[in-house]
Amino acid sequence: MFLQFLFIASAFLTLACTIAVLVTKNLMHSCVFLLGTLIGVAGLYATLGADFVAVTQIMVYMGGVVILMLFAVMLTGGKDFVSRAQTLLGLPATMGNKWTYGLGLLVGVVFLLTNVKLLSNIITTLPTAEINNDFPSTVSRLGHLLVKDHVLAFEISSVLLLGALVGAAIIARPRKHN
Amino acid sequence: MNQTVVSYLAQYEFFDFLVNLFGKNQSLLSFLIYLIFALLIVGMCATIGGLGTYAERKISADIQARIGPNRVGPYGLLQFLADGVKMIVKEDVMPFSADKMLFYLAPILCLVGVFATLAVLPFAGGFIMTDLNVGIFYLVAISSLVGVGVFLGGYASNSKWSMLGGMRGASQIISYEIPVTISILAITLLAGGMGFGTIVGSQGGLPHQWFLLHNPFAFIAFFVYFVGALAETNRAPFDLPEAESELVSGYHTEYTGMRFGFFALAEYIEVFVVCGVAAALFLGGYNIPGLKLDLLPLQAVQFTVFMTKTLALYYVVIWVRWTFPRLRVDQLMSICWKYLTPISIFNLVGCAIWMVAFNGKSIADIIFGGH
Amino acid sequence: MLPAQFDGLMPVVIFMALAILLFVGGHFLSVLLAPKKPSLLKSTPYECGEQPVGSAWSMFNVRFYVVGLIFIIFDVESVLMFPVASIFKELNQMGQGTYALLIFLSFISVLIEGIAYCWRKGDLDWVKSFQASLKKETK
Repeated sequence: MFLQFLFIASAFLTLACTIAVLVTKNLMHSCVFLLGTLIGVAGLYATLGADFVAVTQIMVYMGGVVILMLFAVMLTGGKDFVSRAQTLLGLPATMGNKWTYGLGLLVGVVFLLTNVKLLSNIITTLPTAEINNDFPSTVSRLGHLLVKDHVLAFEISSVLLLGALVGAAIIARPRKHN
Repeated sequence: MNQTVVSYLAQYEFFDFLVNLFGKNQSLLSFLIYLIFALLIVGMCATIGGLGTYAERKISADIQARIGPNRVGPYGLLQFLADGVKMIVKEDVMPFSADKMLFYLAPILCLVGVFATLAVLPFAGGFIMTDLNVGIFYLVAISSLVGVGVFLGGYASNSKWSMLGGMRGASQIISYEIPVTISILAITLLAGGMGFGTIVGSQGGLPHQWFLLHNPFAFIAFFVYFVGALAETNRAPFDLPEAESELVSGYHTEYTGMRFGFFALAEYIEVFVVCGVAAALFLGGYNIPGLKLDLLPLQAVQFTVFMTKTLALYYVVIWVRWTFPRLRVDQLMSICWKYLTPISIFNLVGCAIWMVAFNGKSIADIIFGGH
Repeated sequence: MLPAQFDGLMPVVIFMALAILLFVGGHFLSVLLAPKKPSLLKSTPYECGEQPVGSAWSMFNVRFYVVGLIFIIFDVESVLMFPVASIFKELNQMGQGTYALLIFLSFISVLIEGIAYCWRKGDLDWVKSFQASLKKETK
């Protein structure tokens, strides 16, 4: 009962904040609404029993990526990038013209239909009795999988992160002007 | 399945009585129990936060050979109430050029980030509000909301002092999160779990059973954690975001009245939480020496033990503030990235090797042959 | 008897809600009790008594962004290490300690390489890398 309520609340938070991110014209407000979206997604994960993923979402996205985005906005001066020009639906012109919207709609429809096709089996056959409020730990299972079955992925991810670190350092380094 | 207050109470007989009283509506009952305990904990922490401001002034007065607040109530103990009332009746001023939405949102984010950590703080055996399996990880993650709050507080004011303070605050908080997280990883390694119940349960009541004295690396990790935690809560000597001699008051320069009060409250509660985590992770938490029982009357003792350790650390935090001079920004960053982070990684490696080499035994076990 | 359903997420939500309620309540009280005499001078941002010059929302140094980037990388690494660290003890008791240690150490060694690289190249310095690059430019 409570979990269902929390799930629906998280879903609404996610959707509402996502729409707010899209329609708000102030870049800083967009970032803050994105924070709301990410909290909502973390809530969805948590209610679905993926506690570790939920907390990872909070840790990496809310604590890291959002702050990084705020810093990135401050690189540009943080003034509200209000674009006066508007296109269809009252959305800012920077978001695209009718072709991009049309393409986006097409991709969205295809994606939706594919997902419905893929998920229809699962949705219809999910035994309702198994949805209870037990909270089995996903952490130790995840750990065992990382150490045994997916050990190569685990190790390679560290190399990937090293690459990301070096790349980030190089890109952000001040350029020599000559 | 993780332990909560409700699941703990459920093993006693009066719980059945309560269930019958509520017409078998256990959702409502557990909600009420959670709400009562949450209100108790929030009330207690708000009082501790308030008394923290009093202690801060009194201890600083002691250190500087002054008397400190002594007018309101016995020994000036009710000073924080007077301050609180004063904050409520102060006019609420907002700069005309401020970003209004974010100006309101920033203290809320700080408060939410701090209050959400209280849900996993282990006050006594069985009386952890919810002993999440990802307990300590969750605590570290959710408290990063404070960083966003600090940044937005600085940004929304549209004052130069606030903006500088907010930028500094956010970059300081995220930087010091790294050594803190890695020190916590070392403890996770030793305890074999992230839940506070597991971590506290794998320690004992006596000092040689604490993780602090488990091995030399954990000993260093405690100090890395503590320094990092000081910096994460913006306490001196790391109070650069609110350095009054250079940034007026940092990110809350433009905040007045109740909203400033909430920033201050969040900060003081966060210091309490950080000290509580240090007590739980390194100093044996609520364990009573010699006893490992979570029975109802004993929990008062456990609670006292936990609070004693936490408040002792709280005292140290205040003591440090009034003893050490403030750092420069570049010193702050080099301490984090060039000293604390490599040391914490070294500690993590050391703890991992110790675990394998000595089969998880502590120093005391090796010397006196325990386990 | 153990209750059929109780959930560990409820306190988290309750605490968050209490924080918001506390803010709203405190703000409401302050609106009721506090005086309200706005004036233009009161609501100018504080700038040591002078009239504020321009907006505070100006371009900031890239070094904050660099710190943010490095932070995220280390954050993700620590997130990946958490599940392995929490089963390390269990693996050790099962007699697979050396294997786990090897995996763990090889993961951390890459992390150390990263921090050593950033240190060597001066990305961890707050001031120096910029001064050094300026010096190179002037030469």
